[in-house]
Amino acid sequence: MLEQLLIFTRGGLILWELGNALKGSPIDALIRSCLLEERSADAAFHFDAPGGGAAYTLKWAFDNDLGLVFVAVYQRIFHLLYVDDLLAAARREFSQIYDPKRTSYGDFDEIFRQLQKEAEARAEEMRKSKQAGRVPVAPSKKQAPSGAARGSGKQRSSGGGGNGGGSGKDECDGDSGKGRWLANGSSNGQENGINENSRAPNTVVKGKENGAPEIGAFDVNKLQKLRSKGGKKTHTGGGGTKVAKAEPTKTVKKNRVWDDSPSESRLDYTDPANERGEGHAEVVAADQGESMMDKEEVVSSDSELEEDEELENEKPGIKKKGWFSSMLQSISGNAVLEKSDLQPALKALKDRLMTKNVAEEIAEKLCESVAASLEGKKLGSFTRVSSTVQTAMEEALLRILTPKRSIDILRDVHAAKDQGRPYVVVFVGVNGVGKSTNLAKVAYWLLQHNINVMLAACDTFRSGAVEQLRTHARRLQIPIFEKGYEKDPAIVAKEAIQEAKRNNSDVVLVDTAGRMQDNEPLMRALSKLINLNNPDLVLFVGEALVGNDAVDQLTKFNQRLADLSTVPNARLIDGILLTKFDTIDDKVGAALSMVYVSGAPVMFVGCGQSYTDLKKLNVKSIVKTLLK
Amino acid sequence: MEQLIHRVEEWVHQQPIEQIYVAFAVLLFTISFFGLLHVLRRSKSNTILLAGLSGSGKTVLFYQLRDGSPHLGTVTSMEPNDGTFVLHSELEKKGKLNPVHLIDVPGHSRLRPKLDEFLPHSAGVIFVVDSLDFLPNCQAAAEYLYDMLTKAIIVKRKIPILILCNKADKVTAHSKEFIRKQLEKEVDKLRTSRSAISTADIANDFTLGIPGEGFAFCQCRNKVTVAESSGLTGEVSQVEQFIRELVKP
Repeated sequence: MLEQLLIFTRGGLILWELGNALKGSPIDALIRSCLLEERSADAAFHFDAPGGGAAYTLKWAFDNDLGLVFVAVYQRIFHLLYVDDLLAAARREFSQIYDPKRTSYGDFDEIFRQLQKEAEARAEEMRKSKQAGRVPVAPSKKQAPSGAARGSGKQRSSGGGGNGGGSGKDECDGDSGKGRWLANGSSNGQENGINENSRAPNTVVKGKENGAPEIGAFDVNKLQKLRSKGGKKTHTGGGGTKVAKAEPTKTVKKNRVWDDSPSESRLDYTDPANERGEGHAEVVAADQGESMMDKEEVVSSDSELEEDEELENEKPGIKKKGWFSSMLQSISGNAVLEKSDLQPALKALKDRLMTKNVAEEIAEKLCESVAASLEGKKLGSFTRVSSTVQTAMEEALLRILTPKRSIDILRDVHAAKDQGRPYVVVFVGVNGVGKSTNLAKVAYWLLQHNINVMLAACDTFRSGAVEQLRTHARRLQIPIFEKGYEKDPAIVAKEAIQEAKRNNSDVVLVDTAGRMQDNEPLMRALSKLINLNNPDLVLFVGEALVGNDAVDQLTKFNQRLADLSTVPNARLIDGILLTKFDTIDDKVGAALSMVYVSGAPVMFVGCGQSYTDLKKLNVKSIVKTLLK
Repeated sequence: MEQLIHRVEEWVHQQPIEQIYVAFAVLLFTISFFGLLHVLRRSKSNTILLAGLSGSGKTVLFYQLRDGSPHLGTVTSMEPNDGTFVLHSELEKKGKLNPVHLIDVPGHSRLRPKLDEFLPHSAGVIFVVDSLDFLPNCQAAAEYLYDMLTKAIIVKRKIPILILCNKADKVTAHSKEFIRKQLEKEVDKLRTSRSAISTADIANDFTLGIPGEGFAFCQCRNKVTVAESSGLTGEVSQVEQFIRELVKP
């Protein structure tokens, strides 16, 4: 069932391989789009081989101490339950036989085959027991997410697919920017209706509200244990999932979507079994009601998960160490980093990031990702946990903010000029962020490099927008294409580009009307404009003052552009223009949130209201400011 | 002033002649000692960097040079591969060989800053280019190359760069001449566009080539050569030659 299982070093050498190389090289895609983007705390990665190949799901585990990565690839249609379990077991076994000098591990074949059999057997058992104890449960109302539940819900890392739609939605929020990923929390599909318990916000687990059916309480909990931590419901589960319960059979009612949640390709959100048996913790959780919520976070936020035994204890991973012994360990450098050690340092970092105006969920995801990469690592001598965490976070931030593609616009303009067509830039964003002002600044900058610019007034809605652009054009002495108000912006843009071709302009800057990300008809109009004209650069203009809304704005914009596009390769946001940078002193977090969510680099930074106030983002100084 | 000189001369004449000779000899010795150390230290660095775009074959080359085979294959590197070893092909040679410190820096654009950590200690850089999939990546490769050629360290210390056209064993791979010309053209274009950037954001420390003329690698102050190789089949003789030139056995 498994297409491929790969064990490789962080440096790139494959140490052991099961199965053949797959078309489209999903592993490379995983590394590039997920692990290097600090999303290593996600549950799974979905990959569609280009050219209509098969669709795969990838799951991974790290061994941070030895610097190894374990990746399992299987077809998305197979909802394999035992993968996480298998990965953890493989990691255990392999780390024992690993030797940095060795490069071939033929003897691991046997061991692995055994592990696979065991894991499959275990999964079979669990499925049987799950089917035995099915209980209908009324879907609980969505709850105002408590911080903890939210945090844990969002990050459902590994632990096998979390709640289907629940975490699916989470990932959608986080990943929809990436267009093609069908963010599905997990690929496991379980028909039992009970699973949706996990959907119900952990509240059910935590014995909140409908005090989950007491009768079924135990069974439910038993099932919870099979659930991956994903069992945490996602508060954002806006995708109201009203899944049919009580139906032990496969037919599941179609989910009604209550708001703009992205349409899930999977309709079955039943929670997959948690192969690692982490559910043990949840069994205990139910009994202790709310108090477990915090602990839960400790446990579950554990992406790769340590041994199951540890989970059976009520206090997973929280060992009390004396001050002296911890001091000794930090000097001798043999301490192995564990979740509990990282928690306080990470919490402090997260708070610090949030005071710098980084969106809350981004800070959370980042911290989880850093935790995932540090767990199990041996502390160097004379280093404290907090300094290790700080360095890791700094590296992660640097990695995220470094653009992954060239942001040299001038070169692209020249390239377009060579091809004999104008370079089209479209400015999009919500109301009042500074699109028109910064458009003029960009025009001014381009003019300074002897490039012919033309403005296109496609904001045909706001009164005075066309006049504003006309004034700028007059001051900069550049041509402007306008058609007045109440015209279709897409058509205006099209004609503007034709005009530019005629009068040999190198660049066309298209101004659009500000629109809220929730406004369906306006987003549709924007999508039409972009599809019709296929611009070279779609620049999202966002203000640096924005807080948590940045995430929402960018996700929804990208999502709309992806959904309403007519071509398979939808044009998404290519770059970000950060405005009003001079108004924030050191609360530069918005830059991080936006870049993390959309993956697009920050191309310009507007820092004032005159033509010259445009500059490039200095990654190092931002990172320094964020961590100060 | 002249009195001072006169005084000194008298004093010198008064010393026994052997002492002066000895003093002189000691001075000479110390100077030559430090001079030798300085020269030796310079060439002591035996670090070679493997850089290039993601997917060009650096990790394969690394393992080829180290073990003689790329084992089971590679995936995109997330961390640098660092090793000090004697080149595999030279293991059979008798005599004491100087081990080479080879560092394979990941090519993914997000990990680019790592290159700057290793440059100060390196004796040479091998810039690996994928000659199979060259044209789609030509711009990105040229940009990376340009960034490297204009780094202060490379220019000041004249670190030699070998542009390696990897995957030359494939039938549809481009020739090294073609690649060289294309790269020169692209770098030329970059030269004009980059130097036009406003003073606020100059990322590159130096400008390349001679203004007014097309760019050519021979115009660089450091030595830039082009060679071919194939990581998978083991055709790495030109690479080893380059390495041996820099790291004396």
